Amino acid sequence: MTPVSGRKRRGWLPFSPWHFVLAPVALVFGLPLLWLVLSSFMTNAQINKFPPTIIPDSLHLDGYRYVLQNALFPRWFLNSTIVALVVVIGNLLFGILGGYAFARLRFGGSKLLLTLMLGTLVIPFQITMIPTFLIMKKLGLVDTLGALIVPSLVTPFAVFLFRQFFLSLPREIEEAAWIDGCSRLRTIWHVVVPMARPALSTVAVLTFLTTWNDLAWPLIAINDDHNYTLQLGLATFQGQHRTQWSAVMAGNLIAVLPVLIAFLAAQRTFIQSLTSSAIKG
Amino acid sequence: MRVAVVPPPTVASPQPRIKRRRGHGEAGAAWAYVSPAALIILGLGILPMAWSLVLSMQSSDLITPPQWIGLKNYEVISQDPSFRAAVVHTLVYTALFVPLAIAAGLGLALLLNREIRFIGFYRTLVFVPFVVSATAQGVLFSFIFDSHFGLANAILHRLHIPTQGFFADEHQALYLLVLIALWSGVGFCVVVYLAGLQDISKDLIEAAAIDGAGRVATFRHIIWPALRPVTVFLVVWETLQALQVFDMVFVTTRGGPLESTTVVVFFVWQQAFEVFNAGYAAAAAYVLAFGLLVLSIGIRFAQRRDDKEVSRS
Amino acid sequence: MGPLLSACGSDSDTGESADGTVTITMWHGQADEAKATIDKIVTAFQAKYPKIKVDASSGGVLADSMLQKITTALSSGHYPDIAYIFGPDIANVARSPKVANLQPYVTKPEVKWDDFYPAAREAVTVDGKVRGFPALVDNLCVAYNKKVFREAGVPEPTGDWTWDDFVALAKRLTDPAKGRFGTGWPAVGDEDCVWRIYPMIWDLGGSIVDDSGKKIGFDNDSGLKALQIIHQLGADKSVYADTKPGSETMYQIFNSGKMAMVATGPWELPAFVDAKTEYGVVPLPSFSGKRMTIAGPDTWTVFDNGSAKIKAAVQFLQFLTDAEQDVQWATQAGSLPLRKSTAESAEWKQHVSSTVGLDVFSDALQYAKTRPTVRAYPRISQPLGQAIVKMLLNKDTPETALQEVARAANAALVTG
Repeated sequence: MTPVSGRKRRGWLPFSPWHFVLAPVALVFGLPLLWLVLSSFMTNAQINKFPPTIIPDSLHLDGYRYVLQNALFPRWFLNSTIVALVVVIGNLLFGILGGYAFARLRFGGSKLLLTLMLGTLVIPFQITMIPTFLIMKKLGLVDTLGALIVPSLVTPFAVFLFRQFFLSLPREIEEAAWIDGCSRLRTIWHVVVPMARPALSTVAVLTFLTTWNDLAWPLIAINDDHNYTLQLGLATFQGQHRTQWSAVMAGNLIAVLPVLIAFLAAQRTFIQSLTSSAIKG
Repeated sequence: MRVAVVPPPTVASPQPRIKRRRGHGEAGAAWAYVSPAALIILGLGILPMAWSLVLSMQSSDLITPPQWIGLKNYEVISQDPSFRAAVVHTLVYTALFVPLAIAAGLGLALLLNREIRFIGFYRTLVFVPFVVSATAQGVLFSFIFDSHFGLANAILHRLHIPTQGFFADEHQALYLLVLIALWSGVGFCVVVYLAGLQDISKDLIEAAAIDGAGRVATFRHIIWPALRPVTVFLVVWETLQALQVFDMVFVTTRGGPLESTTVVVFFVWQQAFEVFNAGYAAAAAYVLAFGLLVLSIGIRFAQRRDDKEVSRS
Repeated sequence: MGPLLSACGSDSDTGESADGTVTITMWHGQADEAKATIDKIVTAFQAKYPKIKVDASSGGVLADSMLQKITTALSSGHYPDIAYIFGPDIANVARSPKVANLQPYVTKPEVKWDDFYPAAREAVTVDGKVRGFPALVDNLCVAYNKKVFREAGVPEPTGDWTWDDFVALAKRLTDPAKGRFGTGWPAVGDEDCVWRIYPMIWDLGGSIVDDSGKKIGFDNDSGLKALQIIHQLGADKSVYADTKPGSETMYQIFNSGKMAMVATGPWELPAFVDAKTEYGVVPLPSFSGKRMTIAGPDTWTVFDNGSAKIKAAVQFLQFLTDAEQDVQWATQAGSLPLRKSTAESAEWKQHVSSTVGLDVFSDALQYAKTRPTVRAYPRISQPLGQAIVKMLLNKDTPETALQEVARAANAALVTG
């Protein structure tokens, strides 16, 4: 944690007055989360009570036990991790290359291609799901992790975002690299990518989250419980008539943890250190 | 992908070298860079889109052989009060959510863009809801906003404010969805804005302060213009998300009560997978797509202006 | 055409392999105890019939999402051999030419087709053709919370009651100050909301679809009176309208002693026991004094991946629904016997006597009716669901609500 900045320390308070504004904000965002955490430590009977139990009498681990006793849970975790990581890497790699080409290079049909790519964003997935399933079947990917990876390996959104970002970068730096004799790919890697951190983090965070939390597509594309993602596995805790709510809550918290850790890590690299690394200063 | 040829370093003048390289490998390199993205996006985007377009001109239940009926689905849909209601709900939702999310995101980002104790904690807290899956949010808010036994009404009761119907009231349910979407979605705007803010040179802001510019003036003339690309991105992204909202509706209301939260994509899903009217569903999806298209053309115009500004600078 | 289409899916789809083994895929859509029971039965089957390999999984979904999954699967030609399909959906799924016709199989004496309850048999029969095996049969009775009645000083219902009695009782037991409701009703407008009205309509002489098949059969006094009953509950504010999907909150409230009575099926009894609710079960009220309820049967729909697979699927389903297995499925999965012979078995009788209220549901099998298997059904159910929600939320008159249902549903019936 960064200490209170020395310059503007107020004498009449041991802490910054901004906490008076930030604390209510924290409450609004934090209270529902707190209950989510608490409920994962309740028994099913406590969650199922109306009016709801707010604070459990003690920390019950029923939910966590139910989740962790499921022999396949680690497998689902691994599947989700593989799918999300590959998708993130794919989006960064192909998004940067595609976005760079659209932003910096002239080639025939680029306008049309970009428009077509963006055009695919306007049809809701609920309707394109079926033809996508057909294509996955033709590729022999149904009921494999490939079916979850390939359709989102690179999204129009990633390409578009990188293109927009590259357009906002000054060309001069790249041209200087040219002059120094860097190849195009080396220029992208050593000059453009380091400047593109905000775009990188945005794409990484968004694609990771959408992939990690997706349920609609795995529901259709996956049959075998060995190929479940976390969200799909958690969905099976919600029976037709009875739901293991404590397990659903515990499972969701376990699912949130890696994302949270990734965010905390990303916060340092992507938000806080940006100013020092940005060349534009 | 070894298209870019490194020229011999002996060439004297840099100017012609750049020119030659540009003319030579540029299109080839471009296609090499673009092709993976193009292949996947077009293969898995355009094909399904074309398929759904054909579907929208058929009477199809996805199970039996479809019948070609031309534009009949579109004719029927233009008269369908349920669809019209779904469009209205979607527009209301979007019109409320997008500006509020952007404004709240910017406000919170400005608030969180300072070096005080626990700031990392605050930032994390604002962002975490964005990470929570729709399922967990659905459960959470069903408990909080239950009309009779929920936490929210318990609090209102204690404050001597009349209790509310929330999800059981068809005049409130849609706004409640906006509220929940804000709770979970603002964090993303905050993070993007924070990254944008960190990118603004501190010297510039300090220089403005030395020149006697007040906070408002600094914001208007330095911060806001610098955040413009970020804002454009957020508006585009959040609008797309809002117009295609589905998950939250599916887990909390299923379009109810009394179809007051039936949004377009939920309508599409219902038609395709509940009443076996997939052709009609595809037509509904295309009407939404057409609306989005018009919108994105507008945005592209704005964007073009932006691009020009950038290239001028 | 079947094998050709599915050949690109998985390698085992060609039906019979060289050594005469047949692999069948089953999407059962079950979790927890129900899944464990099926797994156990599959193992037992495997030991007895080594030539048939049963690949049973939930199919990646629970039963709630099965319809969407099966629709996608059918449209792509890559589908399982057996899937768990809800009763109201089978008529539409059976439009597919890929759904098997089991008529020639079920007439064989070893299947003992007539041993299934009539409601269960009707549920898998579409246009006179058998499309699968009964998977589950349940029905609606009224569960009441004894503690709530005791505290309110109201005598418990006996089962010899009318719907007007029910409405009056619900009103008497409602106490806003204590946050207590007389009864509850799912108010999402889905099937769980809709099927609760049919016993009233049937009892009043109405039907879901009339004899011509082109019109709804409750656009008359039967539909009106039924909606009026619900309207009265809504107007009295004696009903908790559960607007959240899944109807779980409603039962949670019942178990928390904040609701006196709720119409429910046998599936909920284990949850009552878990929650240590003191409950009793009585048959649904009526208008005529005649016993009436609705059976909500689900199906094991069989799909056509070649005759060898259909035959194997029938063999397996015959085993799965045989009295010996049926009783396991019914006791462990919280449902009712599919076969009369199961109900006669000592094991079932013992189970009934050990579970409070189960006898009432078991007896109701004798008189429970099913919804007709018509294709336009979802488009009758949807407007009717909205009408019921309007009544529950006290938003419209029964007359105009019924008119709207009739308009929308009749239009759907005419176009088919």
